[in-house]
Order: sequence, then structure tokens, then C-alpha cells
Amino acid sequence: MMRSRPLITAMLLVASLAFAIVGAAGERERATDDRGVLLVIAQAPAKTRGWKNPYEGNSDALLAGKKLYLQHCADCHGQNARGMRNAISLRTPQVQNATAGELVWFLRNGNLFYGMPAWSGLPEQRRWQIVTYLKSLR
Amino acid sequence: MEEPGSLEVEFNSAYGTQKMGNAFVAPWVELEYGATGWWTTEFYLDTQSTFNDSTLFTGFRWENRFRPLMREHWINPVLYVEYENTNGADKTLKEVVGFDNQFDFSEPNSELRKEHNHEIETKLILSSDYRGWNISENFIGEKNLGHQPWEFGYAVGVSRPLRLAATSERCNFCSENFVVGAEMYGGLGTAARLSLSGTSHYLAPLVAWELPNGVSFTVSPGFGLNDNSHRFLLRWGVSYEISGFGRKVRSLFQ
Repeated sequence: MMRSRPLITAMLLVASLAFAIVGAAGERERATDDRGVLLVIAQAPAKTRGWKNPYEGNSDALLAGKKLYLQHCADCHGQNARGMRNAISLRTPQVQNATAGELVWFLRNGNLFYGMPAWSGLPEQRRWQIVTYLKSLR
Repeated sequence: MEEPGSLEVEFNSAYGTQKMGNAFVAPWVELEYGATGWWTTEFYLDTQSTFNDSTLFTGFRWENRFRPLMREHWINPVLYVEYENTNGADKTLKEVVGFDNQFDFSEPNSELRKEHNHEIETKLILSSDYRGWNISENFIGEKNLGHQPWEFGYAVGVSRPLRLAATSERCNFCSENFVVGAEMYGGLGTAARLSLSGTSHYLAPLVAWELPNGVSFTVSPGFGLNDNSHRFLLRWGVSYEISGFGRKVRSLFQ
């Protein structure tokens, strides 16, 4: 009886990991609903619309933002930001019409239920650089 | 938290010296998977090798971290639950709780491995980001399922990238890829006796090098702060993140 305990535990672990992967699949499917994502951008506090991008018009920041985008975002949103699989295009008017402040707020908070991670671990400067790049895609 | 669908494969190790007993190296492998944006699950395999003694597999751990709040706040909590199935020879020292001290490891591996630990460990991780600094406080509670009292511990740490803004060119050795910080951790006694007396504590600077290709290296030399602590505890690790791992696995079955 005692010998079977590690086996049962290992089976439970494998089952749980499989459940986690399937769960992530479900999450990705929900992420295809771009309304969900965009609604969260719309939920940004009103004060964020007044936030000014400190790197606006800065070509070095734009290149840095592109580098960061390719490093952190392109795997889901595509190399050209036109969206891929379940992640939305970042060139859509709904994204491009959002203010820089709303976008940087969204990057910080993410949309955890719809598969968009929170990038709060990135320094604020780098989030603004990414937004500078995103705004250049208009 | 790991990004959803990403798998991080890590190889870590702890090297420790002790006054009564031989120095040891305790490597472990971690597989960390971002199940959702608010749930990360992680599996560990622990081993150790004690100089002039033996090398052995010491058990496994399964950890889950949950973000209860969907928005960022000044302080962001993460709930952490871990099941540990290890033996008494486990020296990974991932955390210090209760009255853990260096004398726990003074016996030979052949004796230590006879003890089996089935434990549930819980943590409340509070983390804040302020002007590029990450500040985190961990409150740890560990319960041996074999009728042992709850043991408590703590860990507090700060870290910051050497440069906050990114440069425009892809680079490996530029300062934006380096993170420096410090951590302090130790035991707080048990539910029956909450006390600092008889507990061990460590102070450990930390350096991490995060390459753009997903590879990271970390080194953290820890120094024991009292007679109960190991004099020196070196933690180091290397990790590699596989983005979109879950998607790649699913595509095999479609």
C-alpha cells in the first residue's frame, strides 16, 4: 500500500499538468474574442488618457520599443503585429485610437482572464517604449 | 508569474558549507508553466551530493501560484501552495522555516534519507514595483502532514535592473539585461513557539543576467547571520523560457 502512494501522487501530478495545458488552451480560445481585450482598454481609468508618453517622437525609443515588442509580444501578436492565432492585431483602429496612457495602463495590468499577461515586471520606461512602437504602426 | 502557455526550464543549485558536517551541493530541476494569466504551476526534482558522503535523489515538489487580484495595485498578492514529497537528506534550502538550522544536515545521508517528509507549504507573496525597484515580502507557513506543527518563515527582497529603459539595439552585455538585488530570509519558529531564538537567517545579494533569447543566469551568495545558519550558501541557476510551449504541445495532437 505504501509503495503505491508515490505512483498515485505522480499520476495526480501528470493529470494536473495536463489539466493546466488544456486550461490554457481554453484561455487562448477566449482570447480570440477581441472585444474582451478591447473592453479592458476601455476600462482604463479616465486619468490615464492624460498621461503623456515621455518618449513621443523619440526615434531611439521607437527602435527600443520594437526590440522589446519582438522580445515579449511578437510570439502571440506576430512579428508585424497583425495578430496571430488567438491574439488580436495591434494595428486595428480600436487599439490605435486608444491613447498612449490607456495602452501603457493596459500593458501594466494585462487581461489575465483572456490570456494577456500583466507586464508590470517590466520597468515603466520599457512599457512606454513599447507603446511608442505600437503607436508608430498606425 | 509565468506568461500563459510558456514553459521555463530551470536548473538551479545550492552549495553550502557547515560547521558540523561536509559541504554539499544540492541541484534541482524546475519546470514552470504558465497555465493561465493568473495561475502558474511548477514541478521540481531535487537531488543533492554531500562531499565525502554520497549523491542521491531527494524527492519532488509541486507548486502552484495564484494571482487573486486581476488588476495591479500598490501591493500585489500572490497565493502559493506547494506539496513536497522529500526525504530528510533534501538540502536544496529553497526556503528556511521553523527552527531549520545547519545542524539538521550533520548526519550522513544514509541516516537523513530515512526520514520522509510529506509537507504542504503555503506562502503569501506580496510584491510591489516602484520606480524600477521590485520589492517583495514572503510570509511562509509549512505543515508536515505527519502531525507536526505549522512552521513559519519569511523572505524579503529588493531588485532592480541596472538600466530601466531599453537601448535601441539588441545586446547581450548591456546593463539593461542585468538585475541586481538582495534578499534576506529565515525562520520564525512554529505555531507552538513563535520565536527568533534558535532560528537561522541569511542575507544574500543577487545578480541576474537575462539574455534576449530567453536564457537567464542567476547567482546569489548567501551569508549566515547567526550560529544556527550555514556560514555560506551559494545559490545559482540557469533557465530557458520556451514561449508558446502549450500551443506547440497541443498542435501535436491536432
